[in-house]
Amino acid sequence: MFVLSFVPSLATADEPSLVEWTQHRVEAGLLKLLVERAGSRFTRARPPPHERRVRVTQATPTRDSQDREFVPFSVDVRFDSGDWKLNDIVGCAYRASGSLFVKRGEAYFPAALLFGKKVDPIAGVCQPARARS
Amino acid sequence: MRQALNHWARRGFFVAMGLGSALITRMSLPYFDLETLPPFVIEKLPLRFESLWLAALRLHVAAAALTFPLCLALMTRALQRRVTWHRWLGRVSGGLLLLALVPSGVVLAFDAKGGRVVTAGFVLSGAIVAAATVVGVQAARRRDLIAHAHAMRHVVGQMSVAVVSRALIVGLDSVGLDPDLAYVVALWGPVLASVAAVEVLSRRPPIWHRNRIALVERIFRESSALALVVRVRALFRAVAGDGR
Repeated sequence: MFVLSFVPSLATADEPSLVEWTQHRVEAGLLKLLVERAGSRFTRARPPPHERRVRVTQATPTRDSQDREFVPFSVDVRFDSGDWKLNDIVGCAYRASGSLFVKRGEAYFPAALLFGKKVDPIAGVCQPARARS
Repeated sequence: MRQALNHWARRGFFVAMGLGSALITRMSLPYFDLETLPPFVIEKLPLRFESLWLAALRLHVAAAALTFPLCLALMTRALQRRVTWHRWLGRVSGGLLLLALVPSGVVLAFDAKGGRVVTAGFVLSGAIVAAATVVGVQAARRRDLIAHAHAMRHVVGQMSVAVVSRALIVGLDSVGLDPDLAYVVALWGPVLASVAAVEVLSRRPPIWHRNRIALVERIFRESSALALVVRVRALFRAVAGDGR
């Protein structure tokens, strides 16, 4: 373990960490668009939160059944100066493609669902591959 | 002074509800775009019976867009004087209320966010609308216009919840109330307040002593004008009949 800690990382100094990359990806691909999409408020839909934050819930990527790397994340929201409401959005970001998926019920959908696109759930995404025996 | 205040309060209510109804209709147009999902729908996913829920939502929105302005118009003196118009538009509104608005609202209520408390609020409001419509129609059929007006005020009162509730959601959000709690308050508050307001207004004696003379004069004036129109029509019909 002591010897391993001296092995240099494969990541370069300029490359953002996995957590930073995921945060930026979710902010640019999800939160920014959600803010832009917030329209009129004369509706029974929930008012847009005053603040959102991204939490990357795993520092290392996970591989799905098709051997693609993804990083799970959560979006917390806050109304006024109250407490943070955790896990308002739960999803994952795919490292290679940058694709974002969000969880609704038990299924994962492309993040475009949150922008009003009619999309079907995609089986197997954001779910770790089962350990081979 | 009090009469003038009542007059302007009544006008203000009708104008505010008319504008609110138009705004809700405008905001609800995306529900009819079959390619996209509006935020109100997205936040409810996944739904147990999504197709049924979406169909009920569209029916509810379309029925409300028609019936609320119609009910407001039916409450105006101008339309109440035109008895035939009032009767037919009343039948259309009553039919839409009982066959489209209330049943679709009940379907939507069972998937309302906020759980059973909110479901109960929507179901209660729908039950008041349905019961008041039936009672109001029965009263009109036996020519009991005071009971008819009382019942129809309850219908309009519950329909006004749609506007007041949305305004409250915006207002409570601006003061920083938790949106989940605000949603419950913004539903139950107007539902109960509407019932109370209608009952308080109906408890007032139908004819105030101070206004009795003015009322009699107005009825005389209106009935005289009506009688004049009838006489003129009868005259023209007689002339037209002779000309054939």
